Amino acid sequence: MKTDRPPDTVRAYLDALRNALKGSSPGLISDALADAEEHLQGEIASNPDKQEAEILASVIETYGTPQEIAEEYKSMETAIAGPFPKPEPKLEQHHGFFSVIGDARAYGALMYMLLSLATGVFYFAWAVTGLGLTAGFAILIIGIPFALLFIGSVRILGHVEGRIVEGLLGVRMPRRLPVQTGADERIWSRIVDALADIRTWSSLLYLLLMLPLGVTYFVIAVVGIAVPFALIGGSLASLVSGHSYVQISDVPWLEHVFHTAPGLAFAILVGGALVFVVLHVAKGIGWFHGRLAEILLVRL
Amino acid sequence: MADESPYTRKFRKELMAGLSSLVLLAVLARAGREMYGYEIAKAVKAEGEGGLIFKQGAIYPVLRSLHALGLLESRVEASAFGPPRRYYSITDEGRRALSDWQGAWHDMREFVDDALAAQMSLRGPTLESRA
Repeated sequence: MKTDRPPDTVRAYLDALRNALKGSSPGLISDALADAEEHLQGEIASNPDKQEAEILASVIETYGTPQEIAEEYKSMETAIAGPFPKPEPKLEQHHGFFSVIGDARAYGALMYMLLSLATGVFYFAWAVTGLGLTAGFAILIIGIPFALLFIGSVRILGHVEGRIVEGLLGVRMPRRLPVQTGADERIWSRIVDALADIRTWSSLLYLLLMLPLGVTYFVIAVVGIAVPFALIGGSLASLVSGHSYVQISDVPWLEHVFHTAPGLAFAILVGGALVFVVLHVAKGIGWFHGRLAEILLVRL
Repeated sequence: MADESPYTRKFRKELMAGLSSLVLLAVLARAGREMYGYEIAKAVKAEGEGGLIFKQGAIYPVLRSLHALGLLESRVEASAFGPPRRYYSITDEGRRALSDWQGAWHDMREFVDDALAAQMSLRGPTLESRA
């Protein structure tokens, strides 16, 4: 699907490139767009006396058409091992329920869940404070620079979060900051651009969403770690010492379980099984959150 | 250039696939300092008449792959306005690879030249040399 007219603005070029890269991983697209924008802006900066359309026409000759560039990136990603982080081995080890114990992704996700309370609270506080101050300052002379600063900080936070997500959840995220728009644009059009950029809003939404999500993840992780190990440790201790440490007066049959040796052995088994269940749940949450971050943080 | 046949384009592309890494390492080794993508693109263009052989856009993915292989180091210098620039410089491993690759390239060139020369003498000198 080619456009009939060659792109004559940086925006149009990037749109065409994005179109040509459809179906590639979002991180790859983002890298390719960043490289192209860096180059095109460099070309524009070194030819200040020429029109953008004029520059674009010559750049397409030397830099390549969006279709050619898209091809280069795609073949580079497949041809050379490791230009981009190795694609996750697609045939995941779904050998069985128990193989999850050796799956680094599950532990990464568990780490992420524990961390997400702290990051979630911070992001939320930052976003709400920023929004509030921006609204408050809007009528003052510092309103515009402050809004710009805040938008910039949202993008940087989104980028930092992207690094964390890539590190712990194994989802490929862009490895460089989203590029700013044209260097020669005025402040006002820069603000309008940032406001029109859906990514600004989706990043902001992500930061706000991280509080409830972070709390939920953290609770699931803490309970998920504490319960199995309490079951195993407590039951072992009871078996060894002959004392029961569990008092559940409201549920007699459950209390009974913790007072008999077979019951305690059973509780240890249940605890052991729960460890695997928790790892699977963590992996699932990691997968879900990775998708969410990809949708909200990566500009497409 | 525009009337080049698809298989000639494909041939060029395949030739460049490996050679572009060699060229970029050579450029960075000779510069002996950090360079950013646009600067490298300009340097490559200035070097050969190959401006058209080698699309500048193609160097960026190659730079990234050389970086991933550890032959180049890179750092990003963010700028407040305008896109951040990624600076590349050659590593010691990159220099070693460069000298190895240069040897490989010389061998390869000799091999190809010999093959082409043999072809020419077979056909005889009366054949039109113009393609």
